[in-house]
Amino acid sequence: MSASSPRTPTQPAVTAQRWQRQQQAALIGLLLPYVLGALVLVVIPGVLALGLSFSYFDGLSAPSWWGLRNYRMFFIDPLERIAVANSLYFTLLAVPLRVLGALGLALLLRRPGRGVGLYRAAVYLPTVIPDVAYALIWLWVFNPLFGPLNLLLGVLGLPQPAWLADAATAKLVFVFMSLFQIGEGFVVLLAGLQTIPADYADAATVDGAGPVSFFRYITLPLLAPWLILLTVRDLIWSFQYTFTPSLLMTQGDPYHATLFLPLLSFEETFANLRFGMGAAILVVMFACSFALVLAFYAVVRRWTRADAA
Amino acid sequence: MPPNAIRKLAPALARHAAALALAFVFLVPLAWIVAASLRQPGLPPPRTIQWLPNPPSWANYLAIFNFPSVPLARYALNSLVVASAAVVLTAVTASWTGLAMALAPARWQARLVMFSIALLLVPAGALWLPRFVLFTWLHLIDSYGALLAPALMGSSPLFVLLFYWTYRRLPAELFESAQLDGAGLLTLWWRLALPLSTATLVAVGILTFLLYWSDFVNPLLFLKTPDLYTLPIGISQLKAMDRNNWPLLLAAAVFMTAPTVALFLVVQRFFLGENKLHL
Repeated sequence: MSASSPRTPTQPAVTAQRWQRQQQAALIGLLLPYVLGALVLVVIPGVLALGLSFSYFDGLSAPSWWGLRNYRMFFIDPLERIAVANSLYFTLLAVPLRVLGALGLALLLRRPGRGVGLYRAAVYLPTVIPDVAYALIWLWVFNPLFGPLNLLLGVLGLPQPAWLADAATAKLVFVFMSLFQIGEGFVVLLAGLQTIPADYADAATVDGAGPVSFFRYITLPLLAPWLILLTVRDLIWSFQYTFTPSLLMTQGDPYHATLFLPLLSFEETFANLRFGMGAAILVVMFACSFALVLAFYAVVRRWTRADAA
Repeated sequence: MPPNAIRKLAPALARHAAALALAFVFLVPLAWIVAASLRQPGLPPPRTIQWLPNPPSWANYLAIFNFPSVPLARYALNSLVVASAAVVLTAVTASWTGLAMALAPARWQARLVMFSIALLLVPAGALWLPRFVLFTWLHLIDSYGALLAPALMGSSPLFVLLFYWTYRRLPAELFESAQLDGAGLLTLWWRLALPLSTATLVAVGILTFLLYWSDFVNPLLFLKTPDLYTLPIGISQLKAMDRNNWPLLLAAAVFMTAPTVALFLVVQRFFLGENKLHL
């Protein structure tokens, strides 16, 4: 390259720019599938869901304007309120446990060493199990009569709950099974821990900081952006997580204890052909996750202010 | 051993013991279902925990393919076809987008990254119903077009970002030499970008395969003709037909899970290996 013409350091950037101008159309062409796809598959459906939630639509004849009548059902029909409460219960219990679990595992398995790769793989493995197979696995493990969990509890002389057959414990099974699929958060926090320079630890040891204060004043603040990102993602994700397990394992039973918002939306839409109501439930689901994200953000703001003061 | 050495060794030992115990907890449900799937058909359910049935029987793994109304082998083949097509489409569109992003002006790079992160935060569950309505209008219902549509936009914004981060790390001189040759963007992508991103290509390919192989909700909503059904639908049908035949159902679950575990073991070193997390 430099044999033909000696060049100044600025030259590559200039040629790159000229080339980029020439190739601009091609560049836009390569971006087009992504941007168009996002428009057709995400943006338009999002707007459509909002629009349908104000309509009566059976999926066949044209939708008709229905005003706020779908949303009014949340004050009339107890099922809608039960589903909101169940989904909030699941999210508020599962998300903190999942984030703390991922954090604990990442801290435990952060250091390279013999066997660490195997441990990390073991922790991640349940995350790759397909949803349908995963539902069958836990349906078997939590079977009250001959599931291995209750057999184990029996051997240990502990009480053997009816799990999914009992309204008091059914939702806990869903929380429990979600705690085994925390591989993604685990990997994100492992990556976050690797961005903390090793000499911070040396400096802190010289200063005489114990492991607890090191975690509180060094690790936690540096990891905070990753933890916030993970929590926000999990808050949004957790509302839809319950769909496949609740459809395959309980269909919302017993006594609607596992009737979550996505299952209710599915039933309203495809069993009762009330697309407008199904859409309204999805909009409420989205609003719930958005409200939780805002509340979480407010809490984080207060903490960081208190830290700075 | 001198007490000093013990004091040094003890935390490491404790950490290993804790890690070992946790790995066991995460693997034990899998071990239980493999054991349960090997139980001889027709026996009453066990009254004690069985770590391995005596004698182990493969009969359930043959029986899952013998339901005339649930042709599981056919469904598995359908899943394989859909997932493979999705892998090819995703590899093309995600790497196109990633390359275009890496070559775009800095201001646009930042905007596209923000756009991708915003897309990642949209809950998929809120889009099932409107997509169903949209696909009905587009006459995509009951075709693989409805399942493969996301593959036309790289399947997940995460895959696009993985390619973008890979291409952004390549030295600028590489692209300059191609530009001096007067190569067009597509030639640059095919000759230079793709061969230099094989690790990302393999990782994204496997993650895409897992995504479509495991997909239950989209086939459930968008497919109507039984001939088109995929494996997750078939297994949910088996469950509806023979709900208490646990050895059989768990054999089906293991059959469906085995490829995902195998592929995960191939891909795990890309993102779990020591100091390989340069995302």
